[in-house]
Amino acid sequence: MPKAFDKNCEIISNDMINRNYFRLKVKTYSALNHCIPGQFFMIGIPDVFLRRPIGIYNVENDVLTFLYKLVGYGTKKLSTIKTGQLSLLGPLGNGYDLKKIENLKYVAVVGGVGIAPINFLANKLKNKGILYYGVRSKHDILDLNIFKKKNWEIIISTEDGSEGYKGYITDLLQYNFDSKHILISSGPNLMLNKILKIAVEKHISGFISFDVKMACGLGNCQGCAIRVKDEIKMVCKDGPVFKIDDISFNL
Amino acid sequence: MNPNLNVDFVGIKFNNPVIVSSGTFGYGFELEDLIDICKLGGIITKTITLEPRHGNPQPRIAEVSSGIVNNIGLQNVGIVKFVEKYLKKIIKFDIPVIVSISGKNVCEYIKIIEILNKQDCISAVELNLSCPNLNESIICNDLDLVYNIITGIKQKTKIPLIAKLSPSYNILEIALIAQKAGVDGLTIANTYPAMVVNVDIYKKFNVMFGGLSGPSIKPISIRYVYDVYKKVDIPIIGCGGIMNGNDAIEFLASGSKLVSVGTACLISPNNLINIIEEIELILKKNKIKSINEIIGICNKK
Ligand SMILES: Cc1cc2nc3c(=O)[nH]c(=O)nc-3n(C[C@H](O)[C@H](O)[C@H](O)COP(=O)(O)O)c2cc1C
Ligand code: FES
Repeated sequence: MPKAFDKNCEIISNDMINRNYFRLKVKTYSALNHCIPGQFFMIGIPDVFLRRPIGIYNVENDVLTFLYKLVGYGTKKLSTIKTGQLSLLGPLGNGYDLKKIENLKYVAVVGGVGIAPINFLANKLKNKGILYYGVRSKHDILDLNIFKKKNWEIIISTEDGSEGYKGYITDLLQYNFDSKHILISSGPNLMLNKILKIAVEKHISGFISFDVKMACGLGNCQGCAIRVKDEIKMVCKDGPVFKIDDISFNL
Repeated sequence: MNPNLNVDFVGIKFNNPVIVSSGTFGYGFELEDLIDICKLGGIITKTITLEPRHGNPQPRIAEVSSGIVNNIGLQNVGIVKFVEKYLKKIIKFDIPVIVSISGKNVCEYIKIIEILNKQDCISAVELNLSCPNLNESIICNDLDLVYNIITGIKQKTKIPLIAKLSPSYNILEIALIAQKAGVDGLTIANTYPAMVVNVDIYKKFNVMFGGLSGPSIKPISIRYVYDVYKKVDIPIIGCGGIMNGNDAIEFLASGSKLVSVGTACLISPNNLINIIEEIELILKKNKIKSINEIIGICNKK
């Protein structure tokens, strides 16, 4: 596991991608190629009390890229900061187990900003896979170049029907999915809940990544606890990526 | 010359007055890769109960202006597993370890203390009489219970006892009762009972109850320290909203011998080290030779 650092890092850019999403690039001072997809950083935002957990979108040597959605006060404030330094604590948490995924038929099921860690994962995986990607409307579809470059099969759904299937991405899984596949998932809790149900019904194994509120990101405050089987786990430290077999529960 | 930061508290020597407060530093050893734990004045572990506890369901944390409201509910592995698995890992840092404990009644406290009596590496025990996040009511609200718990434990142990009090209007009365019962020190104070309303009609205006911590509570907790210091003879650990060296010195000057830091450590464990360095700097700048010169100085005017 790579060691975490807690330091100020220079902003390279912090650009709007579309109405809801921003891409943040920062320069760290050592190569971070050891970061694992699914891991995250706690990012300190000036005038915001708690840091915010943001998943790694990509790593190239000493340049870290994050993709974040404007959700509340913290991310809105972050989107206004274009230069200077941000305090970064990370890489944190357990990511996707590449060794367990690599040689299998993988299917990624992604909702909204959940695309960030999966983008990083696709970058690291050699083979192509299948991407199920659900968003609100076609304006929310983010850059899928890495998937295209690696010949992934891409299936898109929009809630308003402006592109691809009209409805939820989970609707499509009912039919096209069986225990030969290994599932990789990341997105809003409502979606993860449905996916877990389908996965349990069809005996599909795999990994899912949770997005929850965090205060410390280090396992210190126990604020991010979820119940996994009969144990309490910290999403920040034991996750954010969990094995599906371990979490047959309702979020 | 560097100022002297050594403090004696309930007979234990602390290299500096900055300790981590309960529940904000895990069991006390997990962050060794991130900061140099040996540099801390000491560690208060998260609160341990007789039986393991799952804690409360989500939501557990809400950010508010200048602070957080937490509703963790004393999630912990229980005293037996704590002693077997974790205690060893904390004592290797060679700084004082204060174990925070909580029970539902005198009997539970005594069972826990009997287990801790067998461990000679514990510097002190902090009695968490003030957790606002349990189904039971806060122990500090019941003065007889406070008295009975402290006298009950005191008979069974030689380990110094520190009572962690609620920040309540009658804190002086609670402090005097705790002193009469034989407690060796006080922590002032725990989080403030608080609540957050989710203003969303579709979510039925859900409320979250919890304890408020962070900079928003600092001036109130300092006042409690000041008021209690004047009237008691036992030493005080000041706690509430300390984010930097200046905050820590405010508490020390108002009568705390040690300060404990919670929320600032959640934001960045580095803050702990920064606070120590800032205290040193402030003393140097003001040509104060020893931290002990300023403890309670506000009361001496
Ligand atoms: C997430 C969290 C967990 C806490 N857990 C405990 C606990 O287990 N036992 C306890 O006595 N106090 C607990 N506290 C209270 C702190 O120890 C401290 O008294 C309080 O937060 C005020 O200090 P601060 O403003 O520096 O955080 C907790 C506080 C927070 C924020
Ligand atoms: S965010 Fe603090 S324990 Fe996970």
